[in-house]
Amino acid sequence: MAEVRIQGLVKRFGPVVAVDHVDLTIADGEFLTLLGPSGCGKSTTLAAVAGLDRPDGGSIQVGDTVYYDSASGAFLPPERRNCGLVFQSYALWPHMTVAENCTYPLKLRRMSRADRQRRVEEALALVEMQPYAARYPHQLSGGQQQRVALARTLVYRPTILLLDEPLSNLDAKLRERARTWLAQITKKVGLTTIYVTHDQIEALALSDRIAVMREGRIAQLDVPRVIYEQPSDPFVADFIGSSNFLKGTAEGVTGDALSIRLDGGRTIQLGLRPGISSGQRVTVAIRPERIAVLAPGEAAPGEGSLLDATIAERSYLGSRWMYHLEVGPTVLRVETPRELPVGAVHLHVPPGAALVFAGEEAPEA
Amino acid sequence: MSQMTATPAPALVPGRDFVAQWGIALLTVALVAAPLVPIVYQSFSDRPLYDGAGNLSLDNYIKLFGSAQFMRVLWNTFALGALTTILGTLIGVAAAIVIGRTNMPGRALIGEVLIWPLYISHLVLGFGFSVMYGPSGYVTLSLAQVLGDSPWDLYTIPGMAVICAIAQAPITYLFCVASTQAADPSLEDAARISGASPFRALWTISIPLLRPAIVYAVILNFTVALELLAIPLLFGRPAGLEFLTTYLYEHGIDAATPDYGLVGAAGALLLGIVSFLLWLQSRLLRDSGRFVTMGGKAARPRVLNLGMWRWPVFAGMAFYLLAGVIIPLLGVGLRAVTSFLTPLLPFWEVLTLDHFVLIFSYPAYIRSILNTIGIALFGGALCTLFVAMVAIVVHRSEFRYGRTLELIATYPRAVPGLLAGIGFLWAMLVFPPLALLHNTIWILVLAYVMRYLPTGFGAMSPMLLQIGRELDRASRTVGADWWTTATRILLPLIKPALFSTFAILFVAFFREYSAAVFLISPGAEVIGTMLLSFWIQGDAGPVAALAAFQVLLTFLFVYGARHLLGVKIYG
Repeated sequence: MAEVRIQGLVKRFGPVVAVDHVDLTIADGEFLTLLGPSGCGKSTTLAAVAGLDRPDGGSIQVGDTVYYDSASGAFLPPERRNCGLVFQSYALWPHMTVAENCTYPLKLRRMSRADRQRRVEEALALVEMQPYAARYPHQLSGGQQQRVALARTLVYRPTILLLDEPLSNLDAKLRERARTWLAQITKKVGLTTIYVTHDQIEALALSDRIAVMREGRIAQLDVPRVIYEQPSDPFVADFIGSSNFLKGTAEGVTGDALSIRLDGGRTIQLGLRPGISSGQRVTVAIRPERIAVLAPGEAAPGEGSLLDATIAERSYLGSRWMYHLEVGPTVLRVETPRELPVGAVHLHVPPGAALVFAGEEAPEA
Repeated sequence: MSQMTATPAPALVPGRDFVAQWGIALLTVALVAAPLVPIVYQSFSDRPLYDGAGNLSLDNYIKLFGSAQFMRVLWNTFALGALTTILGTLIGVAAAIVIGRTNMPGRALIGEVLIWPLYISHLVLGFGFSVMYGPSGYVTLSLAQVLGDSPWDLYTIPGMAVICAIAQAPITYLFCVASTQAADPSLEDAARISGASPFRALWTISIPLLRPAIVYAVILNFTVALELLAIPLLFGRPAGLEFLTTYLYEHGIDAATPDYGLVGAAGALLLGIVSFLLWLQSRLLRDSGRFVTMGGKAARPRVLNLGMWRWPVFAGMAFYLLAGVIIPLLGVGLRAVTSFLTPLLPFWEVLTLDHFVLIFSYPAYIRSILNTIGIALFGGALCTLFVAMVAIVVHRSEFRYGRTLELIATYPRAVPGLLAGIGFLWAMLVFPPLALLHNTIWILVLAYVMRYLPTGFGAMSPMLLQIGRELDRASRTVGADWWTTATRILLPLIKPALFSTFAILFVAFFREYSAAVFLISPGAEVIGTMLLSFWIQGDAGPVAALAAFQVLLTFLFVYGARHLLGVKIYG
C-alpha cells in the first residue's frame, strides 16, 4: 500500500524557509494537489518527496519505506525510491527516441528484452503514442512530449506518481484537453498522486483533495468543494476564484444571519460564521460571480443585502461586462452579462456569496 | 500651441548605408581572398608566380603525389593529427566533467591552470618540454640517474602528440564545460528518478549530450594539429620526421631556390583538407536538435559527489597540470635565469641574468618585443573594430548577402597560419600596391587580422545577438539610418563584447608566430619568429629569456584585464 506520510517537513535555502513544518498524509490511490503561488514551497515539497533535494528536517515515508527521516539520518537517493516524476519541462532525453526514453528505466531494472518491449508498447498505447515510438523528442509537439513524459514515468510502475506542473507548458486550448486526458489516465492507473500547480482550475478539476500552500505552510487542506466554498482565510479565498474584499465591523447576530457594518456606512447581512463576535473588525470576501448588479429601482431577485454602488468604469469583454464598482472607499470588480450605464446602481449580495473572516488582513486586490 | 507637423529626419548622406555595408563586405572578401588566390593559382601554374603568367597544369600535383617522400609526409601529418586529437579530446572532456560537475577539491584553480596553454604559444610550451623532458632535459636526466635510461623520447610522433594534446586540451575543455553548464539539469534528475545511480545518469545521459561539443572539438583539434609548425619543426626534424607544415617551411624558406609550384600544391592541398574537415563539422552538427537541451528553469546541474574518489581524482588532475603545464613553464623560467640547467649542478650555482642582458642589448630583440606589443595592441584593436562592423552587417542589417559574408568571414579558420603567411607574401608579389607594405609590420597586421577574423567573429556574435533587436529598430523608427544606428546604438551597447574580443585577439596576436614566419624582414621581426630562429640555431638561453618575458607579459595582460577591467577572457 502506498500511503504517503510527510511529517514536520522543513527545507531551508540559506535564510529562507521554503517548506516550514509541513504535515501531510496522502491515502493510497488518492490524487492530492499542492496548490499555491510561486515560491509557496509546493515544488520544494515535491522535490523532497522525489529525493532531488535533501530536506532539513522531518520525515517522509511511503508505504513501509522510509524515504527520509531527519531523526535517524535516513535518506534514500532518488534512484532507490521508485517514484515517477513528470517534470515541468518534461525532461525527455533529447538523444534518445521515444521508445528509448521509455526503455531506459526498464534497462536499469534489468528487465529482459521481451518484457521491456511489451511494457514500452503498453505504456505508449496507454498515452496513445505508439506510432511515434521511433521519433526523437524534438520532432514532437508539446502535447506529445507531455504524453511521452507520462509514459516514461508509468512504464516502470512507480510506487507513487509525482506531477510538477505538467500542463503549464501547453497553450490554453491544449491544456484543457490534456487536463481531461490526465484525469482519465490517473483514474485508470489508480496510483497515489501528488500534483503541483498554481492553476486553481486544474486543482479543482483533478484532485481528490487540495492542499493550498502559502509561505511554506499548508493554509488549507480539504476536498475541492470545501476549498472553494469555505476557504479558511482571505488568502485562500483570493487564490481560489479571485475575491473582492471589503472591511467592516461585526454588529450582531439576528437569527442565523450576521450583520456587518461596512466601512463607509452600509450594512450587510451574511450567513453566520463561528468565532466572530460583536464589535470585531472583519474582512468580507465577495465572490464576483455570485453577486448581481441591479439598475436603480430594480427589485432584488431574492434574499440578501443590497448595497449602494457606483459604476466608475466598465469594459466590454465579449460575452460579459466587467464593472469597477465603488462601494464606499473600496472598488469591487464584478463580471456580469448585463449591460448597465456608468452611474449609480445597486449590488445584490445573497447570503452565500460572501464570507466573513476575522481581522483586517486581506490580499492586495 | 502650434500645429505639429510631420518632419522626417533628413537622410544625412543618401546611400551611405549602401556604401558602408558593401564596403565592409568587399573589404572582408579582399582580405580573405588576398592570400588564398595566389596559393591556389600557383598550385596550378607551371611557372613561379613572380615570373608572369604561366600555363595552367596539374604538374605540381602530379609531382607532389608522385614523391614517396611526400606520402610519408602525409602519413606523419595524419598520425600526429589523430593522436593529438584523441589525447587532447580525452583530456579535455575528462577535465570538463571533473571540473564542471563533481565536487573535486580545488576545481576553480585547476580549471584556471588548465587553460594556461591557451595563452601561450605551442612554441613556448614545446620549448618548456624540451628543457625539462628533452633528451638532456632536467626531468629526463633526473629520472635517468635513477632508472639508468631515459624513460621517454619526445622526438617521436607519440612524444610530439603529448605536447600538442596538452596545448589543445583547453579548447575541448572550454567547449564541453560550457555545454555541461548549459544542459538542463532535469534531464539528469529524470534519469535518477527512473532508477539510475548518479554515475550511470552522467554516463548515459549527460556525456552523450556532450556529443556536439565533442564533435566540434575533435575536428577543431585535428585541424589545429595539421597546421602546427613549431613542434614538428623542433621535435620532428631532428628525428627525420617531416610533416605538411615543415615540408612547406623547408621548401618555401629554407631551400636555396624555393619550389613555388610544389609549395603551392602542398599549400592548396592542406587548405583543401582543412576546408573539408570544417565542412564535415558543420554537416555533423546540423541535426543537433537531438542534443539541444531546452531547460525549463535556469538552474545549474547538480554537483556529483565523488565520495572517497575526491582526492585521488584531484591528485590525478594536479599531477597532469604539474607535469604538463607547470613544470614546462617553470623550465622556461629556470632556463632563462641559469647559464646551464642540469640536475648534475644545483641551479642556484649557475644563476645568471646574462640572457636577459643579451636580449635587452641587441636592437633586433628589443625591436621584436616592441613590434609584437605594437601589433597586438594596434592590430588587435583594428581587428576588433573591423570584426564588430562585420558582425553588425551580418546580424543587424538588411544586407542581402549577410549569410555569405558570415561564411567568408569565418572561412579563415581553414587557413593555417603558415599558409596565411605564404599567401600574403605571394600576394605582395602579384599585387604591386600591397608590395608597399613589404618589410613593414603592416603586412603582419594584415595577415593576423585575416587569420583571426573567425576568432573575433566567434567571440563577438553571441554577445551581439543578445542585444534586443527592438533597440536598433527603435533607432531606425525615430529616424536614424543604419550607419548611425550601428555606430551610435549598437557599438556602444556591445562595449563589453568589444573589450573581451580585444583581449582575446591581443593574446592571440601576441603569441602568434606561424603566420609571421614568411612575412618577417629585418626591422619587422616579432617575438615568435625570434624564438623560432634562435631555437633552431640552438641558443636555448636567449630563447628561454625571451619566452619567459613573453609569458610574463601575457599573464600580466590576461590577469590585469580580468581583474582591473573585468574583461572576460575564456571563462
